[in-house]
Order: sequence, then structure tokens, then C-alpha cells
Amino acid sequence: MASVAHHGPTRAEMLAILGGAALAGLGAPASAAPKRGGVVQIAQVPDVIPSGLFGQNFPNGAIGGLIYNTLTAYDHRTLAPRPQLAKSWDVSRDGTTVTMQLRSDVKFHSGRPFTSDDVVFCIKNMQDPARGSQLRSTASVVTDLSTAGPGEVKLRLAHPVSNLFDLFELMFIVDRESLPDMLAGKSLIGTGAFTWKQWNPGDSVTLARNAAYWKPNRPYLDGVELRIIPQTQALLAALQAQQIQLALGLAPKDVVSLHGNKAFETVVGDTHDAAFYVGSNVNVKPLDRREVRQAVSFAIDRERILKDVFGGLGAAQSVPWPQSSPAYDAGDARRYHFDPDRAKQLLKASGNEKFETSLAINSGLAPASAIAQIVEFNLQQVGITTTTVSFDAAQFIKRLAGGDLPGLWVNVHGFGQMHPATLVVSAFPFNAAKNASNFRDPRYSAAVNEAWTATNDRAERAAYRKVTGVLLEEQFVADCVLTSGTYAGVPAFRDFSYNMYDYLNFDDATLG
Amino acid sequence: MVLYALRRIPSALVVLFLASVAIFAVLHLAPGNPAVVLAGPDADAVTIAAITHQLGLDRPLPVQYAIWLRGILTGQLGQSYVLGAPIASLIGRGLGNTAQLTGAAVLLAVGLGFAAGTIGATTRSRVVRAAVVTFTTISFAVPTFISGVLLVLVFAVWLRVLPPGGHASLVTDPLGGLRFLILPAVCLALPASAVIARFLQTSLSAVLEDEYIRTARAKGLPAARTLLRHALPNALPPVVTVLGIQIGQLLGGAVIVEAIFAWPGLGQLILQSFVSRDYLVVQDLVLLAVTVFIVFQTLTDIAHAALDPRIRLGS
Repeated sequence: MASVAHHGPTRAEMLAILGGAALAGLGAPASAAPKRGGVVQIAQVPDVIPSGLFGQNFPNGAIGGLIYNTLTAYDHRTLAPRPQLAKSWDVSRDGTTVTMQLRSDVKFHSGRPFTSDDVVFCIKNMQDPARGSQLRSTASVVTDLSTAGPGEVKLRLAHPVSNLFDLFELMFIVDRESLPDMLAGKSLIGTGAFTWKQWNPGDSVTLARNAAYWKPNRPYLDGVELRIIPQTQALLAALQAQQIQLALGLAPKDVVSLHGNKAFETVVGDTHDAAFYVGSNVNVKPLDRREVRQAVSFAIDRERILKDVFGGLGAAQSVPWPQSSPAYDAGDARRYHFDPDRAKQLLKASGNEKFETSLAINSGLAPASAIAQIVEFNLQQVGITTTTVSFDAAQFIKRLAGGDLPGLWVNVHGFGQMHPATLVVSAFPFNAAKNASNFRDPRYSAAVNEAWTATNDRAERAAYRKVTGVLLEEQFVADCVLTSGTYAGVPAFRDFSYNMYDYLNFDDATLG
Repeated sequence: MVLYALRRIPSALVVLFLASVAIFAVLHLAPGNPAVVLAGPDADAVTIAAITHQLGLDRPLPVQYAIWLRGILTGQLGQSYVLGAPIASLIGRGLGNTAQLTGAAVLLAVGLGFAAGTIGATTRSRVVRAAVVTFTTISFAVPTFISGVLLVLVFAVWLRVLPPGGHASLVTDPLGGLRFLILPAVCLALPASAVIARFLQTSLSAVLEDEYIRTARAKGLPAARTLLRHALPNALPPVVTVLGIQIGQLLGGAVIVEAIFAWPGLGQLILQSFVSRDYLVVQDLVLLAVTVFIVFQTLTDIAHAALDPRIRLGS
């Protein structure tokens, strides 16, 4: 879990952070004794969706990590799991049995002690398709759960999986006795540092300090108020007027506009969890030709997208993995760079020097329109005429899930920051069995399965090379820019952190 | 009169029923559904199917319609598919906030419009008249999403005298509530005030040229009395007509203003609910709007009938 002490990083520092460099200055404790008390006001654009707390696509990261704990938490640089509610664990040599020892001093906000039965419940809950978790396939590998007293749980797996700890990183430990109330947004009961007080949909969420929190003397804050400000300019204005102390998910260009202003400090997260890409429907001619998809990828000016759309905050690259990922390779990341001549050659070789297709965007995805404009211009330069088609979020996702987007599209995916197997198993654009591009290839399926079931580092790395090789060769998903969540706040608010999926953690946060 | 009013009820119910069918059909024919939104962009078809089943969206459409209608008739509006919260409380909160905002905006628009229109029609100063024209032109021409951002920048970010957005209850915190209300209400009121001012200025200028006004002046009636007792009342009819239209437009314009000022009203609720295909919330809100419209139409018809016996006798 990375810890963020605001320090107003320079652009170079930000790029270094995005590049996976050491988190210089971040996580440094406050020099004086931590100040207790205060209610921090934070804000974001979308409202929380309690019923979506088990999925990984909703803006619940702002509250989920404050109300709930997870079993483990990754070190951001090494992806090594660290104890949270699980004190320790043991994985059998064949990778099919995991035994976890749990903390005995943890209580839910209702006062009920946390036990191994809660872990059993939560894993079974994640296996339910109706919960909408992208980690369902990994949770479903757990075929048997048994407990040995309240402090030990044993998981038996159908086969070894390399990304099991992604499940433990993302799975909130919820109170099994109040699940219906949680899904209805009435009451969210966890073991986290803050308790659920009130939710005014479309307006605010109020959390109060959990006085019985299992971490001694934590949290320092008396409470948290999350405000919903449905317009990014208004979110920026609220921060500038110091009505809030932390703005979540500001547009990168707005973050850049705050640079140099000593009243505010900005941080771009080190999770690298938002990868913007151009997808191809391989059922649409001539996108069924590999050379054409490669030509599209060579035609895209990724650096321009990074500069013009994201204010330079991110990395232009052609693989979904950040530098911190074990699957990352610098040569792969640069494989597809802006090369219109190469694109024209590939189009000529494929017999499709000029053609027309559509470029679909999700109107609910803020940067999609700006990216599409650049891509449209780039493609026009090499002989591909595109017509931009805008769908609202519901239409776009339905078409995406059905694999019937008509040609090319601009979208974002996550999970590259997690264990590489999670991306190719859980993120629908990459799913080997069924994906948004309708791409199927036995080589790809085999490589994905190999990556998922590998039991040692060497085997994993070999499998990742194969997966990345197919992705780069086939380009049904042409990754363009990898960026992260942004945090902009006032200097007085410091020492908050977030996990690899941007779940906020205010255990150590103070409001000076 | 009572008989005339009662005769209007069956046709109003038929219109409501047809409207409910149309709302339901249009929403369900639109691509996408809340299960797709809940499942998210990385979800697979199995997950979407499971959520669809859980929400009951895989039932036949007539069954879903019947369940919705039964809920409406029994006062059980149900829960939002996406937010999970009771729809009655979502609408109740939003309705109060939107009414607060539009009510304040109407008062401001009328006040500003009447002041500017009256000054514009009565002043002999070219400078003052030019100022009024400038005010009305800018207020009318600048869209609310620009004037809103400008107001926030000036009063919240630079001067820091008012909050940039948010909401507080006028009941429990009157002063705080008023501070939150000022900027969005001004933003919403400006275009309407410009229209009212223009209509009033034109109408009042014409009336001030009438013979009876000249007579009043010749009789030595004070200028203020001439204006308030004789000119203004006769200049009002076209202004009242346009005011009615402006109130409708204010309700529509509140959607944008609510977004800029993070005002938790119905505009935001319906927008977000439509985007996420939260069928029940959108259906209930649109049906509520149709009901309000029908009620006002019926009341207007009854008022006309009360004023003009020919209408009720003819019907």
C-alpha cells in the first residue's frame, strides 16, 4: 500500500512516479506528532454505488477502503502481499492449498468479532456472478473452504493460480449479517477505520471514526465526508475555494494547472491502473487482418495523446503492463510507436491501402472524445477514414460486452497493475474465451492459461512473454497511454494512502 | 363547475395511462440496461446475465410494466436498480431541492427583470438605457454553463465570499442554506430575468405612450403613481405569459446549473438515472413530470371555465 504525504511533486517527479521509480518523498511521515481530530472533506465526480462494491468498475474506492479491510495489501513496487486481516499464510508446494491465519483482535462495526467464517462467506460471495466481481473467475477456482477455529481458514483450489492474492487485495471483508442492507445502501458494516453514518445519494457520504479499530490509536481523523460534485470544473473550483481538502480523479490537465500553486499539492498515483486503448472488432473487415490492426497501431501518435489529452501525466506505450509489472519489457512497450510510413506499408501489404470504418467512443468516458479526434486524424494520414460514433455508457458497454462495436473503438481498461494473469483472465477486452474484439486463438488461450496456472516465477515470466507476444502481434487491443488516478489536495491533509486498485486508506491520515 | 371539473378526470387518467406505456416502452427500447452498467466495462456475459436476472429484467416486458404500475398505484415506488436506495426518498429529496432552487430563481428573475425592464422603459439617460441593454443581452446570450463557471470563479475562488457548490438545508441551517443557494439561483435566474426585462421594457414603453398615461401626467399625477397604478398593470399581460414559459425553462435549465453547483436536485437525478438506465427512477420521474403537467393543464382549463361561462356551458 503506497502512502502519500503531499509534497507537490514536480512534473519530472510525477513522470518518475508514473515510470515506476521509487516513491521519493511519498509515504514520509509527518515530522511532528500526528494531529488528532478533524473531519476531512473529500470530493469526486461520480456517486458511490454500494451495490457495486464487489465489482471493480465503480467509484467506490473512495469509501470501500475506509469502511472495509482486505485480507492482504500489495507492496506497490514488488506486488508482494503484506498482512492486513490475514496475519500470515502458507501456500502448499503444488499451489492448490492455501492456509491463512487471521487476526483475532478485529471486530465489525456492529461489535461482532471477525472470524474465519467471514472469509468463507466473502469468497463464496465473490463466486456469485450477480455480485459482478471481475475476480469471480479467480474466486471460483476455490473449490473447498474449511475453517479450523475462528483464526484459521483453508482454501483448496481446483488448480494452482498465480493471481490468488489479487483476490485478497480487492475483496472487501463485509459483514455477512447485513449484506442486504449493504446492497441497498442502507448500512455498510465492515472492520475498517471508519463507520458508515449517512448517504445522501447524489450529494454526500458521511463516515465517522471507528473508535474500536484494530490498529492501535488509529485513525487520527474524526470522520470523512465525501461530497459528490458531478462536474469536473466544479470539483476543481471546490478545491480552489478550499471547500474540500482532497479532490479525487481530477482530469490530468486540471492537475497540471495546479502546479506551482503552493496552496495545493498534487499527486499522480503509482498504480498505473488506467490504460487507454484502441480496440478492433476482428469480425469487421478489413480489421480481421492482423496487418491492418498492426497498421492502425503504428498510425497512432501515442505521444501526442499523452501530451494533449493527459498533460504528459502517464506513459505512452503499446503494452498493458506498467513498469512495476513482472510482465513489463521496455522493448515491448516501445514496439508500436508513431510510424505512418510503416503503417502505410502494412496496409499496402494487406491489400487495404484505403478503407473506411467507424470509431466508437463512450460519451461517458471523459478523455475518449479527445483521444478519438487524434486517432481519427492519425488514421486519415495513412488512408483510413473513420466515422466517430458516440454511444452513451450503457449502450457502449452493452455493445462492448456483446462484441458488436462496429469497427474500432476507444476505451479504457484496468488490471494491468495487478498480477498479469488477472488482466488476461478478468478484464473482458483480454479474455481468451470471449472478448470485446471477438478475437480467438488457441495460442493465446494456451498462453493465458499458462500464465494463470504457473506455480513459480520462472514459469510465470515465460508465460507472460508468450501472452505479450500474442498481444503485440495480434493488436486486437492496441494499448496507447497508461495513466493513474490523480489526487489534488491542500498541504494540511497528509499521509493518506491507497491500494493497487485505488481504494483509499486514511488509517494514518491527518488534517493539520 | 364541479361537474365540469369531474368531467376532466377520465381524460386525464387516459392520458396518464398512455404516457406510462410510452415512457416504459421508450426506455426499454433504448439500448443498454442497468445490469450492463452495474457489471461495468470489463464484465463478461455471464456476469451481466446474472445481474439481469437478479434485477428481474429478464422477465417479459408486460410483466415488468404491470409490476411497475402496481407499485405506482400502491405507492410502492421500489428501489433504484443502480443506487439501491428507495426511489421515494430519492425523489422526495431531489424534488425539494429543485423546488427550492427554481423558486429562488423565479423570485430573482422577476425582481431583476422587473427592475431592469422598468428602468429601461422609463429612463431618459442613454447611459442607463445602454447599461440595461448590456445587462439583458449578456444575461440572455451567455449560457448557464459559462455564467455558472464565471460566478464560481469570481465569488468562490477569487473573492471567497460564497461557496462554489453544495447544499445545506434552509430549515436546519437557514444562513448556510442561503449561502449555498445564492450562486446557483443567480445563474439560473439571469437568462429568465433578461427575457422578462426585454418584454416588460417593450410593453411598458408602448403603454407609456398611450393617451390615458398622457392624461394622467397632464392632471399632475406623480410619476411613480402613474407608473405603478396605471402603466405597469396594463403592461403586464405579455410579461405574465412569458413568465409562465420561463418557469418551465427554469426547470429544464436546472439540470445544468445543478451539475455546476453540485446541487442535489431532480435534474441531476434524472440525468444520472437515464445514463445508467436506472429504469424505475427514470419512469417514476417522467411520470411525475407528466402528472404535474396534466394537473396544471386541468387547473388551467378549470380556471378558464370559471372565468368564461361560454367554455363550461359549451362543453
